Amino acid sequence: MAGYSSRVRADIARWLQAGLIDAATADSLSRDVEANERKSLSFGSILAMMAAVLFGAAILIFVAANWDAIPRLARVAALFAVILGGYVGGAVLKARDHAAIGEALWIVAAAAFGGSIVLIGQMYHLSGDEASALVTWGAGTALAAVALRSNPLTMASVGIADAWLFLKGFDYYSRSEFPHAFLIMAIVLFAVSFWTRSRAARHLIILSVLFYLVLLVTNHDTLQVAIPLVVVSALLFAASVFAPDPVDRVVQLGGRLPLHALLGFLAGLAMIQFELADKSTYESGFAIASVVALAGIVAAVVLAGRESRGLRWLAYLGFAFELAIIYVVTLQSMLDTAGFFLAAAVLLGILAIVIIRVEKRMKGPDAKGATA
Amino acid sequence: MIIGKRLVISALLLALVQIGFLSWIIAGRAAILRNGKEVLLKIEPVDPRDLLRGDYIILGYEISRIPVKMTANIPPDKFSSDDNSIVVRLKKGADNYWQPTTAWFGKAPTLAAADEADILGHVAEGWDLRGEEATIAPDYGIERFYLPEGEGMAIQNDMRVRPFGIRLALAGDGTAQIKALVDGDKTLFEEPLY
Repeated sequence: MAGYSSRVRADIARWLQAGLIDAATADSLSRDVEANERKSLSFGSILAMMAAVLFGAAILIFVAANWDAIPRLARVAALFAVILGGYVGGAVLKARDHAAIGEALWIVAAAAFGGSIVLIGQMYHLSGDEASALVTWGAGTALAAVALRSNPLTMASVGIADAWLFLKGFDYYSRSEFPHAFLIMAIVLFAVSFWTRSRAARHLIILSVLFYLVLLVTNHDTLQVAIPLVVVSALLFAASVFAPDPVDRVVQLGGRLPLHALLGFLAGLAMIQFELADKSTYESGFAIASVVALAGIVAAVVLAGRESRGLRWLAYLGFAFELAIIYVVTLQSMLDTAGFFLAAAVLLGILAIVIIRVEKRMKGPDAKGATA
Repeated sequence: MIIGKRLVISALLLALVQIGFLSWIIAGRAAILRNGKEVLLKIEPVDPRDLLRGDYIILGYEISRIPVKMTANIPPDKFSSDDNSIVVRLKKGADNYWQPTTAWFGKAPTLAAADEADILGHVAEGWDLRGEEATIAPDYGIERFYLPEGEGMAIQNDMRVRPFGIRLALAGDGTAQIKALVDGDKTLFEEPLY
């Protein structure tokens, strides 16, 4: 990618010299190249990020080992040096056009901040729970993301918030209340992600909020969570399909909001279906939910399937899930194993036919459009 | 280049803020160690299987279970505990170990006498406050003792044979800080200030 951008920059300089474009155009062109270059992930920057994550993990594990050969004041000083060197060195490198390595150094510095929290807990035998240490670490990382306008640091703080949610959500001793504070974290980080231009963080936050709702269902009344989720998802889907440009200008998800909305819609209906499955023989709730789900899938494919291959595949997945759950709930009791295989074969066949037909219809005009 | 310079400055500020925050925690803990009131508590035998988790041992204290009857300010219409802080007043016994005398939810109404000390703990929601023999289990943030890798096993075995103690430093507000792990008269691990 760097090769492409440097070539374009050379071209722009040549065009400017030849008088094809004026200086202002040349400037805005090279700025555009630069802006788009940042968005693309090169192989090198992925490797740099992986190295940073490994380095951070090494720091954390080294601290956890509590190796007493090095005096702990020296360990603290070393971690402080990594924090200082990581942030400042990363900023210097980023300012000198080595964005990938700079961002990677910032991740190392954020890991060293987390490591310091662990080390201090160890030094003074603090038995406060890991969850509150994660909150401190996440807040520090979010602060770093804001101060440095960094996309990877934003992702890291979302990841730490997710770890916190996971730790609290699966706290089997349930000493703590349900982690509703995650919603506040999600809102704050969502706001931060606009400042740091981190679209990936926004995607991750939306998926995390869905995960939060799934956790919530295991603790609370299912329908009270699931029905609003379905309604809100449907509304978001409608908004993002019928007014794609204004909606995307607000959420800036690169036009992927329908995908999230469909996932939320299907997750909500799945919750409802699991809840009502037992009563399916004498209540119509399950049947209604199934019909809504199938209708929603069809509507999603018809309305937005053409633009998004990802959405189509999510719809197929949802369709397969619906076929399976409807089969299990309604027919299971009547068929033996052989019948199950037969039914599975028929269902998979139906699924295959549907996918093939839809893909053909969706691809046809696209392919023509491409050749025309 | 101005943008670059500003980025470096904000990175520097950020690093100083984070390091400052961490140093502030260290300084606070060191201050308790330096100035806090010293108290010796007996460690209760903990189920050996739970004793070793990674590189720390879990400590149980006498004050880890406070009889509800010892708690002075429970409103009569209260059936279970809130998520709340608790203050436990300790008094020095004849054997140099300190024992709990009274406890209050929230704050202590009186100051501790010279041979007494207050320790601040936290009670989770939902402990029964009405049973005849009911106890609540506060935690004080001192329930772990980190050890150098590999030294936990020996101490765990010794702890089953004879009583061990923990020497604490207590800040004015009752915040507890572990100072040393004691085996009878022998100090096993003494914590330096930093």
